[in-house]
Amino acid sequence: MSRLGETMVNFHEEMRTARLVFTRLLWIIPVAAGVMTITFFVGRVFSGDPTNLYAPPQADAALRAKVRASLGLDKPLINQYFTYLKDLLHGNLGTSFTTGRGVGSDLLERMPATLELGTIALALGIVIGIPLGVVAAVKRDKWPDFMVRVFSLGGMALPAFWVGLILLWLFFVSWGILPGPVGRLPVNVPGPPTVTGFLLVDSLLAGNLSLWWQAARQLILPSLTLGYGALGPIARVTRASMVDALESEYVRTAVAMGHRRPTIWWYALRNALLPVLTMIGTTVGYLFSGAVLVEAVFGWPGVGAYALQAIQNSDFAALQGFVIYAAVLFVVCYLIVDLLYLAIDPRTRA
Amino acid sequence: MTPTTRSAAGVAEPSGSGGDTETAGPVAKTRRRPPPAGALGFRIGVGLLAGYLVVAIISYFWTPFDPLGVGGDVLVKPGTPYLFGTDRLGEDVFSRTMVATRYDLAITVASVALALVLGTILGTIGGYYGKFWDGAIMRAIETFNAFPTLLFAMLIVSAVGPGILNIIVVLAFVGLPSYLRLARAEVMSRKTWQFAEAARMVGCRSWRVAFRHLLPNSIGPLLAFTAVNAAWVALITASLGYLGIGLQPGVPEWGSMIANGQDGIITGQWWVSFFPGMAILGMTGSLYLLGDGLGDRFDPRRRR
Repeated sequence: MSRLGETMVNFHEEMRTARLVFTRLLWIIPVAAGVMTITFFVGRVFSGDPTNLYAPPQADAALRAKVRASLGLDKPLINQYFTYLKDLLHGNLGTSFTTGRGVGSDLLERMPATLELGTIALALGIVIGIPLGVVAAVKRDKWPDFMVRVFSLGGMALPAFWVGLILLWLFFVSWGILPGPVGRLPVNVPGPPTVTGFLLVDSLLAGNLSLWWQAARQLILPSLTLGYGALGPIARVTRASMVDALESEYVRTAVAMGHRRPTIWWYALRNALLPVLTMIGTTVGYLFSGAVLVEAVFGWPGVGAYALQAIQNSDFAALQGFVIYAAVLFVVCYLIVDLLYLAIDPRTRA
Repeated sequence: MTPTTRSAAGVAEPSGSGGDTETAGPVAKTRRRPPPAGALGFRIGVGLLAGYLVVAIISYFWTPFDPLGVGGDVLVKPGTPYLFGTDRLGEDVFSRTMVATRYDLAITVASVALALVLGTILGTIGGYYGKFWDGAIMRAIETFNAFPTLLFAMLIVSAVGPGILNIIVVLAFVGLPSYLRLARAEVMSRKTWQFAEAARMVGCRSWRVAFRHLLPNSIGPLLAFTAVNAAWVALITASLGYLGIGLQPGVPEWGSMIANGQDGIITGQWWVSFFPGMAILGMTGSLYLLGDGLGDRFDPRRRR
């Protein structure tokens, strides 16, 4: 093929990829709209009359009507729905009735704590889970496989909050080698000046290494707890996918050609990683659910603890805001996974 | 062997022993399936689940102490009179763990069964009749899938309020899309197979082809998924209980028992939270093993 022809083909392919990416990005709109619609109707239809939360119990009918009007509840449902959508699109998630502040700003303030915890947990899940899955697949039906399967089954079968409590009991209460469940920093330790909100980053930016160490120690148990839950599915998918890859014909060919075994495993792993990528995308949803539970155990001041507080105070606007937040972030993660697929797997570009 | 009879046999005896009719010499021998790789795990799973059922039934007639009996010795270590110790209110942890089995098992089984039946029916309709319904159903599912499951369950349960029936309905609703999607994919993939064509050709009505011919062939993967999903539902039930939005306060449930023992962990009374967690592990673990076993059995690609 001529040089020009090659360029034309490449250009054509790139255009097609760009179009795929674009349609994929557009797809987020109906899903986000659906998410908002569902949360609205769950809120309005199931949770009853929010007037009772705002009006004092001894309020008479006139006062109640006034409260209803101030909340916009006297209008038809469909008008309320459009007001709600308009507010959402302006980034207004409503007002939390416990903190008296906007749910959006509340969430934003607490987000770095959860993101820091979630990122480290996910990293742990990937860095430990994938090698474990590979070992299990390579040593299939032997004792390492058995150990990995039991260990990863535990990650999926155990409730995260229980794992957290048991780890606390062992490392904090019994052995006293790690700090207790008091949040992101030990009690009475002032945080670094806020730049990113991530304590590990901010303390480094402030040049305070001992603070970094204190923050890291507080992170160990919560991130292990959350990471163990993420590890289970990742290790299992890696194992299953790796087993398939090891039985494939290109691996047989590589074996026949006399490649060394690590080389062969590397070939197989590269092909086995696609389903793992999907699983990692799904895990992000788990991390949000898990954050609610793990943050409750460790007194972690993130969005999960905020959601729990909202539940306990029947603060529906706050809970709803959190769920929308999580759902949208989850969809964005799915999108990223899909785009990574396009980048990694040439077959999806066809 | 037609696909229909194979699957029917599989449903009738999922214990791993089915399929080997030893009457007809060497031909039957070659047809005989190798034992599935996860057969041991499968048996452990079935055995443990049967154990949970037995405990749940026994708890109606006998528990060592009154599970709601407040006022006994407070925070006693696990030992002779109190096998799992007692909690802060002096309630026997062992008796409460036994009684809690009822609630966790009932919620899991009921909501999974509800989701399985409804999801399968809708999915079969979607997969067989396609077109409009299919498109509408699939778009709706994509939206529901955008919610992380526990969060969605939390949202609805905190809206409709606590109670065993509410939880069952909510968890069934949350789980339904996955069954629907699976049933749809299974039915769709076999819609044009020859046995379906044959059924149509001898004059079966479309619903009969869909529900009597196509669906029974899809039941294996559906059951395997059901077991795995049940484990997930059991975890969510416990999580809701832990967060205090599941059942009415005071009802023994593993998750809420763990929450009750949370303060004790820091002061050294580990047993109040420890044993309910082990009970959850046994149940979810055996459901996963069951799901793996069924998956190995019904998915020829995975059976090696």
